[in-house]
Amino acid sequence: MAEQSLEIPGAGTAAPVPVTTLQTQPSVWRRAGGSILRARWPILALIILSIVIFTAVFGPNVAPKDPNRVNPIVRLTPPMEPDRNGEIEYPLGTDGLGRDVLSRLIYGARVSVLVGFFAVAIGGLLGTTLGILSGYLGGTADDVIMRLVDIQLAFPFILLAIMVLVVLGPGVLNLVLVLGIGQWVTYARIARAETISQREKEYVEAARSMGMHTARIMFRSILPNILAPLIVIASFNVASVILAEASLSFLGLGVPPTVPTWGQMLAESRDQLIGGNWWLAIYPGMAIMLTVLSLNILGDWLRDFLDPRLRGAN
Amino acid sequence: MYLTLKLRVLIAVLILALLPLVVSAQAPGPDETTLIVAQSTDVTSLDPPQVGARPESNVVAHLFGNLYDIDVAGNITPSLAEDVRVSEDGTEYTFTLREGLTCHNGEPLTAEDVVYTFQRAADPELAFTGNTPGFVFSSMGYVDARVDGELEPTIIIDARNSIALGLITEVRIYCMDTYEAMTLEEAANNPVGSGPYRFVEWVRDDYLLMEKWDDYALFDPDTFEQIVWRVIPEASTRVAELIAGNVDIITNVLPDQHDAVNNSGVAEIQAVQGFRRIFIGFNFTDNVEGLPGAEEVQDPAVRVALQYAVDVPTICAARLGVECERANGMVNAPNNHPELEPYPYDPEQAEALLDEAGYPRDENGVRFEMILQGGRNRYLNDEAVILTICQYLDDIGVQTDCQIQDFNTEFIPALVSQQAGPMYFVGSGGGNWNPLYEMADLAGTDSNPNYGRWFNEEWFSSWDRLAEVGNPEEEREIVLNMLEIFYNDPPWLMLYFQPDFYGVSTRLAWEGRRDEKLYVQDATLR
Amino acid sequence: MGIYLTRRLLQSLLVVFGVTLVTFLTLHLAGDPTYLYVSDRASDEEIAEIRTRLGFDRPLTEQYIQFMTNVARGDFGNSLVSRTPAMDLILERLPATLELTIFAMVFALSLSIPIGIISATRRGTVTDGGVMLFAIFGQSVPSFWLGIMLILIVGLQWRILPISGHVPLLDPLLAGDLSTFVNNIPEAIRHLIMPGITIGVFSLSRNARLVRSAMLEVQSQDYIRTARAKGLRDRLVITRHALRNALLPLVTIIGLELGFLLSGVVVVETVFSWPGVGRLVFNSINQRDIPVVQAAVIVFSFMFVASNLIVDLLYTRLDPRVRLH
Repeated sequence: MAEQSLEIPGAGTAAPVPVTTLQTQPSVWRRAGGSILRARWPILALIILSIVIFTAVFGPNVAPKDPNRVNPIVRLTPPMEPDRNGEIEYPLGTDGLGRDVLSRLIYGARVSVLVGFFAVAIGGLLGTTLGILSGYLGGTADDVIMRLVDIQLAFPFILLAIMVLVVLGPGVLNLVLVLGIGQWVTYARIARAETISQREKEYVEAARSMGMHTARIMFRSILPNILAPLIVIASFNVASVILAEASLSFLGLGVPPTVPTWGQMLAESRDQLIGGNWWLAIYPGMAIMLTVLSLNILGDWLRDFLDPRLRGAN
Repeated sequence: MYLTLKLRVLIAVLILALLPLVVSAQAPGPDETTLIVAQSTDVTSLDPPQVGARPESNVVAHLFGNLYDIDVAGNITPSLAEDVRVSEDGTEYTFTLREGLTCHNGEPLTAEDVVYTFQRAADPELAFTGNTPGFVFSSMGYVDARVDGELEPTIIIDARNSIALGLITEVRIYCMDTYEAMTLEEAANNPVGSGPYRFVEWVRDDYLLMEKWDDYALFDPDTFEQIVWRVIPEASTRVAELIAGNVDIITNVLPDQHDAVNNSGVAEIQAVQGFRRIFIGFNFTDNVEGLPGAEEVQDPAVRVALQYAVDVPTICAARLGVECERANGMVNAPNNHPELEPYPYDPEQAEALLDEAGYPRDENGVRFEMILQGGRNRYLNDEAVILTICQYLDDIGVQTDCQIQDFNTEFIPALVSQQAGPMYFVGSGGGNWNPLYEMADLAGTDSNPNYGRWFNEEWFSSWDRLAEVGNPEEEREIVLNMLEIFYNDPPWLMLYFQPDFYGVSTRLAWEGRRDEKLYVQDATLR
Repeated sequence: MGIYLTRRLLQSLLVVFGVTLVTFLTLHLAGDPTYLYVSDRASDEEIAEIRTRLGFDRPLTEQYIQFMTNVARGDFGNSLVSRTPAMDLILERLPATLELTIFAMVFALSLSIPIGIISATRRGTVTDGGVMLFAIFGQSVPSFWLGIMLILIVGLQWRILPISGHVPLLDPLLAGDLSTFVNNIPEAIRHLIMPGITIGVFSLSRNARLVRSAMLEVQSQDYIRTARAKGLRDRLVITRHALRNALLPLVTIIGLELGFLLSGVVVVETVFSWPGVGRLVFNSINQRDIPVVQAAVIVFSFMFVASNLIVDLLYTRLDPRVRLH
C-alpha cells in the first residue's frame, strides 16, 4: 500500500467512480469559482479570511511593535491620536499597560487562529474517523461509538473543560486539547450519517466485491465523498472554538496572560469599558466577529453550493 | 405577506406585555435606613473561628464584638472589655468585661463565654481552619484561657509577646450556652453575635442582611438601621451599581474607573494609604536551582544592586495613580527605621555594584538572566507593575523573563510550595500598631510567609532575644537592629505600601481604614 | 413503544454510567489527585494521611466502585472550602440557575421560530439579510462582553433594567409560598431579562438559522410543491406542511440546547452576580475546590440526560417514523 493520491485509480480497479473529491474535479473548482464570484459576499469573506491567515502566518514580520512592550507613559492612547510631533505612533491606540493594540491584534490572530485550527483539526480527525468506523462497520462498533457520543454530549462542554484545566493547569497545549476533544461529536455524527448513506452505493459495493481492504474502502473511497459537509461544519466550528477560548480566558483558564489572543484582549478590556476606553474592546471584538462572520458566510455558501437540493430551492 | 397581520399583533402584544416591566419602579435601592455594601466574594462561614478571608471577616466584625479593638490611628482601645492587666512575666492577660453585656439572643455575656470562645477556637476536635486558630493563636503563642471572676477572663500565652493584645482584637466573642447547643452547620449559617449588628438573613452568593442591635455596649444612634452586604464579583458590575446609586460602598476600584465614578455626581473615589506591603521576594530554596537567576540572588550584593534598578515613585505615579515614597523595609511608618534611606532609583549605581560583584555585561549587554513571576488581578494594577519592573531590570542588563500567571490557580500554589521565582511579586498585609506584627512574616526560616526561605542567622536569633526582653526601649533597639539587617541583606526587593481605592456614595459620611478592614458600623448619612 | 422505551432508558443509564466514569478519570489525568485536595502548605505526612482518608492509595477499580457508591447516594464529598457537602451547595443554588436557563431557553426558542420563518419566506430580501446578519453577530460575541455592554448601556445609561442581582421565583414556589411567588414575578422577570438574553442570544441565532434552512429545505420538497401547485394558500402550506416538518430538527436539538445553556451560566452568572451554580463553579475554580466542580459537572450532566430522555419521548409522538427504529 504505497502512498497514492486521493484519486481512485480508475484503470487499475475499474471501479465506477462517482463525483469524488474537490481536488480531483477541476470542473468543481471552476463551478465554485463562478458561484463565489456571482455571490459576492463569500468573496469578501474569503478576502477577510486570507488577511487573517496572512497576519497569523507573517505576524512577527507585519506587526509594527513588540506586542508585549510596556510603556507607562503612553497608556490608553486613543486610536489615531497624533503625538507631540504630529505623528500617529499607535494607529489603533494602546491598552492599559501602554502596549500597542495593533501589534497585539496581529499577534493575537496567530494564537487565536492556531488554537481554532488545531482544536478543530483534532476534533475533526477524531470525530470523522470514529464516525466513519461507526457508520461503515455498524453493529457493536456503532453501538459503542454512539454511546461515547451520548456521553460526551451529556457534559456541558465548558464545565468539562474547566474541570480538566483545573486538574491539568492552564496552558496553550492543554487548551487546544480540551477544546479539540470537545468538538469531536459533531463530526462523528455527521460522518456516521453520511457514511451510512454511502455504504450501499454502487461504487462501494464494487470496491467490496473486488476484495478491497475495509480500511481502504472507508478512508479512500467513502471519506472523499463525505468530506464536503464535514468541511462546512468545520468552518462553523472554528468560530465557536475562538469564542470558547475567550470565555475560558475570562475565567482565568485560557492561555498565559503574556500570550496575546483576541479572546484574552477582550477579557482584559472589560475593566476599561466603564472608563470609556472603547477601542480596547472594539478592535478584538471586530476581529473575532469578522472572522466568525466570514467563516459563517463561507460555510453557508459552501453548503448551498454543495447541497444540490438547496440549490434547487431558489 | 401572509404573516404580516399576525406578526404585527404579536409584536404589539409583546411590547404591551414588556412595557410594565420596563417602566415599573426601579429595583429597591439604598434608603435612609439601609446601607448597601458590595464586595467581590461571599462569606463561606459565619462561625468566627472558621472565618479567614477579608470579605468574610468584614461581615463577621459587625456581628460579633471583640475584647479590645484597634482604631484607625493604630491605638488599641477598649471594646467589650473595659480594662486589661498583664502579669509580671507577660504570659497572662486578665480582662475586665463591661457590666450587663448580652449576646443577641439575650444570653448574658460573662467571663466564661470569653473563655469558651477561645477554647472552642483552639479545640482540635472541631479543627477550625480560620484566621483565629491558624494565624492569631499561633502568632501569640496561645496556651489556654480561664475564668478569674464573673467578669474577668484570663488568656494565657507561652511567652512574653508584645503583639499579643493586638492579636486578641481579632478574636470575635460569642456566648457559651448558645453555641454549645448549635451544630457546626448552624453556627456557620445562623450566627448569634455580640456586636453592633444582628444577623437577619443570608442568601448565599447574593446578599447578607443585618440590622442594628439596640443593646450594644457602644451603641451609636446615628448609624444605619440595616446593612446589606451584596456580592458582586465582576469589577465593572460593581462600579455600574455604584454609579446607578444602588450600592453605597465598593472596594478595590481600579484607577482607570476613577473618572467614571467621580464624574457620576453620585459617588466619589476615596483614596486611602493602605498598610499592605508590596514587594518582590527572592527564592533561596533548592526548588529553583538551575533556573535563570537562582544562583545570583543568593549573593546579597546582587540583591542590594537590584534595589537601585527600580524607580518606585514613578511606578506609583504612572501605575497606581498616587504619589508614594519607597518602603525602607518591611515595616509601615511610624514604626519603620527612622534613619535608613529608602534605596534611590540609580541605575548607574546598580550597574556599578553588579560589575563589582562580578556580573559584568557580556557582548550582548546581558549580565545574567532572571525569572520574575507574579499573579494578576489580585493587587492594584499588579500586572502593569510587574511588567514595568521587568523592564527596569532589563535596562541594567538583567535579562528578565516576566511570567505573569493566574493568581489563584497558578501563582499561589507555586508560591506557598516555595516554587516561585527566583524573583516573585507579592503583597502582605500590615499595620501601624506594632512593627513585630509585620516582621512576623519572617518569624522563622520555615514560617509560611517566608516564601523564599530566607535565612540570616542574626535576624532569626533576634527573635529569641525579643521573647526575653521586658521593656519597650530594649525591644525597640532589637527591632531597629533587625530592620538594619533586613536592609543590608535584603530578602525582599522593597517597593511600596499599596493604596486602597473605595467608591463611596456622596450621601455617606464614612472614612476608609488603612488596614483594608471594611468597617461600616460608624457610617452615617451626610 | 414499550421496547423502545426500555431501550431508551437503558441507553440513558449507560450514559449516566459513562459520565461518572469520565468525571472520575478526569480527576486522575494528572496522576495522584491527592494534591488537589490538600492545602498547598500541607506537609508530607498530612498529604499521606489525606491520601489514605480519601482512598487514593487504593487500586483504581476499587476507588471507582467507592466513587460510584457515593454518587449513587448523592454524596460527592465535602467542599474543601466551606466543609459542607458539595451536593448541598449545588442544590441550594440550582433553582436560580434553572430560572435563568429556562428563561433563556424560552427566549431563544420562542423568538427563533418566527424569525427563522420570516427569514425563509422572504429569502433574499433585506429583511432576510438583516436577520441573518444579526444571527451571525449573535453567534460571534463572547457572552461576558455582551453582558457587560448590556449592563453599561441598558442598565446604566438607560436605566430601564436592574444591573445585577436576583429575585427568587422557584424558591418560594418550592416552599409553597404562592403569594410571594406571584408578587415576585414582575421583579424577577426584570432581573432575568439581561442575563437571559446574554445566555440565550447564541442559541437564538443558531436556532433561527436552523429553522430558516429547514424551512427552505422543506419548501423545496415535492409534496410542498405539489401542495402549492394544487393551489393551497401559502399560509396553509406553511402551517400545515412546512412548519411541522421544519420543526422536527429543532425539537431534536432542544435537548442538546439545555446542555449548551448550562455551559453558559458560569460566565453569565459571574457578570450579573446571579447566585446560581455557575457562580459556585467560578468561585470553586479560584479556590481549587475540586469536589464542588466535580459535583456540578455530574449534576449538570444528569439533568441533561434526563431532559434529553423526555425530549426523545416527546419526539416519538411528534414523528411516527422514529418508532420504527
